[in-house]
Amino acid sequence: MGKFGALRILIFRDLQIRYAGTWLGYFWTLLDPLAMSAIYWFVFSYILGGRSVGETPYILFLLTGVLAWTWFNGSVTDSARTLVLESKMIRSIAIPRYLWVIKSIGAKGTEFLFSLPILVAVAVIAKGQVSLQLLFFPLAFVVQFLLLSGIGLILAPLTVLARDTTNVLRIILRMMFYLTPIIYGLNDIPEKYQALAMLNPLTGIIVMYRAGFWANDNLMTPIIFSITISVAIFILGIFVFKKLERAVLKEV
Amino acid sequence: MSVVIDVKNIGVSFQRNRKRNFSVREMLLQGKNTSPRGSFWALRNVNFQVNAGEAVGLMGANGEGKSTLLRLIAGVLLPDEGSVEVKGGVAPLIELTGGLKSDLTARDNIALVAGLHGLKKAEVKKRFNNIVEFAEIGDFLDTPVRHFSSGMKVRLGFSIVTSIDEPIILVDEALAVGDAAFMQKCYVRMKDLLNQGKTLFLVSHKEKDLKEFCTRGLYLKDGTLAVDGTLTQALAAYRADAGISDD
Repeated sequence: MGKFGALRILIFRDLQIRYAGTWLGYFWTLLDPLAMSAIYWFVFSYILGGRSVGETPYILFLLTGVLAWTWFNGSVTDSARTLVLESKMIRSIAIPRYLWVIKSIGAKGTEFLFSLPILVAVAVIAKGQVSLQLLFFPLAFVVQFLLLSGIGLILAPLTVLARDTTNVLRIILRMMFYLTPIIYGLNDIPEKYQALAMLNPLTGIIVMYRAGFWANDNLMTPIIFSITISVAIFILGIFVFKKLERAVLKEV
Repeated sequence: MSVVIDVKNIGVSFQRNRKRNFSVREMLLQGKNTSPRGSFWALRNVNFQVNAGEAVGLMGANGEGKSTLLRLIAGVLLPDEGSVEVKGGVAPLIELTGGLKSDLTARDNIALVAGLHGLKKAEVKKRFNNIVEFAEIGDFLDTPVRHFSSGMKVRLGFSIVTSIDEPIILVDEALAVGDAAFMQKCYVRMKDLLNQGKTLFLVSHKEKDLKEFCTRGLYLKDGTLAVDGTLTQALAAYRADAGISDD
């Protein structure tokens, strides 16, 4: 059997477990990002008295960012713990170890794709405008997959060797949510800090997801930044994983 | 005769101090690492080959590297030195229940474990009834495995892994599981598999099991291969050493 077959089985299993024993099943995938976006929309539009960040319709702006973030956050958390959680399987079934990382990202990525109908629905209801730059959307998906794979390949073995990684990660992810242009846009950041923000590869990825809805003439710089950094992290991930795999197998 | 398992000069070392966190903390607090440093070789300079159709019994006292060797052959551990070459697929009867997911039903678990061991969907379908029948779980097919008794889980695991039809079978003391009646069935199935010409690599402390199935014996002592000969030779050496250390 090819590695692809094993990957498909593992992703299917993750989704099966995710939806087993829940009443609403698939609808959680839709409700979760929608609820999160609605909260930020309410806070920024009403409580903080008139919003000065992002684009209009703001709910659509939020949702594009929140969906990408949900995938990012879920994948980083899951792939970091996967080798620890699946240790019993890793000890008894000899499939390539990196598949455990990739399946975590694939499972969350599938949920991301499953949640896109909500984006379409909100775009229609909020009367969002669509341009040809929507073609950046699939590219963003590919780049994010690459980035997440790299991060996962680094974090998964580290978590086996030092369990504190999970705690550190939780803090970093919380910080990253606010430091990434999700509830605001790249253009809302003071100009002198924009280059710094672009060092965060997620910035360019979210710019790409949003490009189809809000025309943006300052696209290429964040995109090139994000692709370059994502590829670099991916290569680093392969290197780190190979280096630590032997030690990991002794510890799981 | 074709060689199916080729173990060349392998060595596996483990950290003596496996609590890395402690050493990190000590490094921070005292500026030096006071834990016992270095590593020890669980296995070293081990060489042997197994031919297709052979039934090999591996013995040794606890902590002499038996399971480590088995895990190397199963491909779930990588050697620090040397190489392990295995031709053809392996059916590992190691941690039988390890592959089962407790939230999934028995039906889904069969598809999952058999699939990960490389069985195609159509093949799983064809063998499905046999797997269920052998495991004696027909009434619980759609029950999540977390509600299974430990005996049922082991039966299911054993039944799946012995049904995947790989040419090499690795067994880690899990030859006979469950109650007396099921143990009898396990023995019959293992005999069947051997008669089909499969290669067997068995780790056991039980002389009865070793004698029942194996003709060749490997005896591990102090991380190296002390005896590689007939089962009788290996057993004699193992027994002699055990007799001395028992006092």
